[in-house]
Amino acid sequence: MSASQPTSPATIDDGSAPRIVIIGAGPAGMGTAITLAERGLPVTIVDQNPIPGGQIYRYPAVPPVRPRTPDRGSALRVLLDDHSERITLLSGHQVTNIETADAERRVSVCGPGGLRTLQPDQLVLAPGAYEYVPPFPGWTLPGVMTPGAAQQLVKSQGVAPGRRVLLAGTGPFLLVVALALHEVGVEVIGIADTVRRRDAFWKLPSLLSDGKLLKQGFDYLAGVRKAGIPLLTGRIVTRAEGRGRLQQVVLAPCDSDWIPDHDRSAPMKVDTLCVGYGFVPRLGLARLAGCELTPTNLPGGWIPTTDPWGQTSVPGVWTAGDGAGVAGAIVAELAGQLVGLGILSRCGVLEPGEVERLADPIRDRLRQLGRFRSGLDELAELKPGLSGLASTDTVVCRCEEITRETVDTAIEAGNTSLRSLKMATRLGMGPCQGRMCQPACARRLVDIGCSTAEAVGRPAFRPPLVPVTVGQVAGIDATAPEDLVDDAWETDDVS
Amino acid sequence: MSTTSLRSEMIQFEFEGQQVLARPGQSVAAALWAVGIPDLRLTPETQAPRGYFCGMGVCFDCLVTIDGRPNCQACLVPVAAGMIVSRQTGRASLLPPDSEPGDVS
Repeated sequence: MSASQPTSPATIDDGSAPRIVIIGAGPAGMGTAITLAERGLPVTIVDQNPIPGGQIYRYPAVPPVRPRTPDRGSALRVLLDDHSERITLLSGHQVTNIETADAERRVSVCGPGGLRTLQPDQLVLAPGAYEYVPPFPGWTLPGVMTPGAAQQLVKSQGVAPGRRVLLAGTGPFLLVVALALHEVGVEVIGIADTVRRRDAFWKLPSLLSDGKLLKQGFDYLAGVRKAGIPLLTGRIVTRAEGRGRLQQVVLAPCDSDWIPDHDRSAPMKVDTLCVGYGFVPRLGLARLAGCELTPTNLPGGWIPTTDPWGQTSVPGVWTAGDGAGVAGAIVAELAGQLVGLGILSRCGVLEPGEVERLADPIRDRLRQLGRFRSGLDELAELKPGLSGLASTDTVVCRCEEITRETVDTAIEAGNTSLRSLKMATRLGMGPCQGRMCQPACARRLVDIGCSTAEAVGRPAFRPPLVPVTVGQVAGIDATAPEDLVDDAWETDDVS
Repeated sequence: MSTTSLRSEMIQFEFEGQQVLARPGQSVAAALWAVGIPDLRLTPETQAPRGYFCGMGVCFDCLVTIDGRPNCQACLVPVAAGMIVSRQTGRASLLPPDSEPGDVS
């Protein structure tokens, strides 16, 4: 490929090239990989999915019935392909552990061929984010899913997520998913957004900082209106009900603190509820690598601490994208490019002056996007009513089936950090390692005045980050049945 | 899915003894959802049904047993012809003798 691109420098492969590993092939990881490969550096990308794109640009697992218009993800895949001689792609691989002791970085990855260890000089973490869903009665029923999960069914799997679907939560992503469902003939009976129209109005000034993105938002709103989908602002789903699976939800009006008015609630017959209140950065990789975290007021409560280039507190470990702080795909790609420039400078491929010249326009655009983002973040700021939806018998830890009552009893006994709650109740000790329950639990501790975000503590993760079989660990037989390594289920290594 | 042309492109796998048709590339969870099966496991403590929730391998709620191997994430594993899938009931995982809950240091 490089032969057809005379301006592209030769690949540095005389043994002096740094070993660079990027984890995650979403917009951030692809942005970094392309920036590095364009300047001649070889990179290895580790990605869970079969084809690059991350969640936002996920490649369809099943060919779509109607051809899709190429998105930015398609363009990025083409660019990766243009540099395929410099980019090694480990698709279908998951990272099970990262060790950064003694200035070395060891990354254990698990794939179809078993377990292997990579030892990069520069390591880039681009793990993305997942949706924030605090517990409410009935939220574990089959038929309740995240908007992202519904979008995957439609866009990647060719499956309708339901016949009568309600979207609920907050943020523009609900509009995007509602339109995707409507397009394939699903009856979207409404979008229930906790933010009241009059509260949204006052956030308009900061959203005016990026006319193009604001217009995109209004286009989505216009699309929803044209599709005849009711936009139910200032409403919150208080319950999901059904025998064995979801049959109806209860919707109530809520005030500016998202506290529902139960007296005015009403049931709605649905077979699928898509519910999400924003996104939580995936912090497992950064935690295992030993990166320092900074508290935020956004879902998840923490983001990795970085310098202006995206380098974490651990030398040679960098991060970009929603995993470094949720800001969407456009920001992720630009931040990924900045990390690429930072590494190019570190490795001596670019002079400091040159790297600043290349970084300036990226930083300008990021600043502008940042102003828009802070408007969106303010609009979607979590309110205490959300922490009060679960009733005493609601399961708050989906893995270990721990109820609100059990957690509240432990809180009353003085367990006001994630770590002590885990010790007292097993909250977060299941296979999801607390990804589902801990962000909401941390938020509740703050909302009920028992703790501060910092005192609640950082989320803890332990290897393996995903369950692996003994066969995979031994490298003998990746498909050996029954021999599950159970560390991820039963042991606790709170750090 | 009733047309023969689509049918011929589909692959067959087994779920709880029942034959299920799926499109190649589909995840086990999506293929089961498509034929109206949303409940993929029963929880260990209360035998409550659980299903496809996050769709991206984070929540571990869609665990099924595939070809005898427990704890498979149905939202991540693509279907294969002849695959034998069953609901995970309870804590199917085997505890190695040396992995008791450890001390917290």
